[in-house]
Amino acid sequence: MMMEAIAFYMLAGFLIFFSYKVISVPNPLHSALYLVLTMLGLASAFFNLGAQFIAGVQVIVYAGAVMVLFVMVLMLFDLKTEIRSFSRGLISGALKVMSAALIAGLALGGARSSVTVLDAPAGAAVPGDVTRQLGILLYTKYLFAFEILGILLLAVAVGVVAVSRMKGGTHARH
Amino acid sequence: MGIDVFEIGVNFVKMIAIFLMMVQIVPLLVWVERRGSAYIQNRLGPNRVGPLGLMQLAADAVKFLTKEEFVPKRGYPFLFYAAPVVAMVPAALAFGAIPLSSPVMVEAFEWMGQHWGPYSFKFQGYEIGIGIVFVLGVSSLAAYGVLLAGYGSANKYALYGALRASAQTISYELAMGLSIVGVILLFNSFNFAEIVGAQSAPMNFMLFGKKVELAFLPNWGIFYQPLGAVLLFSAMFAEANRLPFDLPEAEGELVAGYHTEYSGFKFNMFFIGEYGHMLVASALMVTFFFGGYTLWPWLTPETVAKWFTGMSLTQTSLLTALVLHGVFLAKVVLFLWIFIWVRWTLPRFRYDQLMDLGWRTMLPWALFNTILTAVVILIMRHPWGA
Repeated sequence: MMMEAIAFYMLAGFLIFFSYKVISVPNPLHSALYLVLTMLGLASAFFNLGAQFIAGVQVIVYAGAVMVLFVMVLMLFDLKTEIRSFSRGLISGALKVMSAALIAGLALGGARSSVTVLDAPAGAAVPGDVTRQLGILLYTKYLFAFEILGILLLAVAVGVVAVSRMKGGTHARH
Repeated sequence: MGIDVFEIGVNFVKMIAIFLMMVQIVPLLVWVERRGSAYIQNRLGPNRVGPLGLMQLAADAVKFLTKEEFVPKRGYPFLFYAAPVVAMVPAALAFGAIPLSSPVMVEAFEWMGQHWGPYSFKFQGYEIGIGIVFVLGVSSLAAYGVLLAGYGSANKYALYGALRASAQTISYELAMGLSIVGVILLFNSFNFAEIVGAQSAPMNFMLFGKKVELAFLPNWGIFYQPLGAVLLFSAMFAEANRLPFDLPEAEGELVAGYHTEYSGFKFNMFFIGEYGHMLVASALMVTFFFGGYTLWPWLTPETVAKWFTGMSLTQTSLLTALVLHGVFLAKVVLFLWIFIWVRWTLPRFRYDQLMDLGWRTMLPWALFNTILTAVVILIMRHPWGA
């Protein structure tokens, strides 16, 4: 228990530091790299909570695929003007931190007023079996939401292809 | 990590030993690669330093350690220094999660006036319940090493190499992940130890709800998932940036790609990362498709343990684990040799061929394999909706 608490607070500290860095460093690429570290920290936090599968998927999907794409696309841009135009003033920094705190407070308040903390269910899954139970839940109780999410992603993918093929898009031929 | 000092200590030492094992196999592989390429191309290769040229490794190590350290002036020094580490760590983490042999049981004993044990030590760096997901996730992070190297060294060739590498890694990761799904479905587990355990038996499967056993074949994944095995192995070449997928460092076009600006030990760490990926890839192939550390019917944890009857449990399990580890290493070495063999046999792809192969050939086949496996397993295990 003690070790878990220490690990949790260390992780929380790292996470807050990295996510602060994401919004405060001038170079967009460094910002994206800090976001990668934030994702990895989040995965460790999930792991610490016993949600091994979610942690693994977090690493594969976000840190391993989405952020690699972000970093890759950012490397293609000439970022000199962006870096120069980034204001480093004390006042704007304070404003950024304040707005971030405001959003975090709003999200936390919304979450606390809408979600009640449930008691641990009686038949809690043993750690090695979480994945199986998650799969069964996804394909029975939450099947509809799961399928709708899949269709949403499909619609997004088709939409992206359609937009990129429009005149003036990245694949425009004339 | 453990309940008392002894267990924690052993686990810690074990982790370091397995990491060193990965690092130490690299110079040997470099030697095999150079001599092997010479053999394939009808040359002699490095044979001057020491017997069979084996001391060449030591000479190379001295060279790596004493070379001038160089950091590009307009690059990002932190990213430049971080990149080789980021390239090496994922391979080491992934290798640590793969079981290398059967567990070692230690009986209760008395030492320094205290009672210790009994213990059971896994023959692997650390055990993670969702081993496959962990290894996939960790090895997907290897792309950052290349990306950081390309960006941090402020060199256009390095940047091109990094861009190619990341596009390639992302493209082939999908096919790699999907090609394993068939194995997961087949053995019904994410855990390496369970997958290996299922393969150390005679071939048995359900044929329309009836259990069939074929005693003359082992229960290896390759017999059920040949397509998955081919896809995984090809995707692994791309993940390790090996020929024919070594466009990120295509020397004819990009000088040396993402590690153009690296020299000395930092370059060596990229090297360790690449060979570490080869090692992880071979170990995964062996674990998923070729029975892991077992070789039914002669070398399974049960049969080997019978060789050492009359000894204590500690000795028996330790010797069994060592024998089975030898089996595992022999299989892995075979695959490592195939990696080297392919490198000196096939020419490099063109970039559009690479993308075409990844997205239009391997991904559809991997999807097809997944769906086919799922349908066949459903029909065979639960015919007529039973």
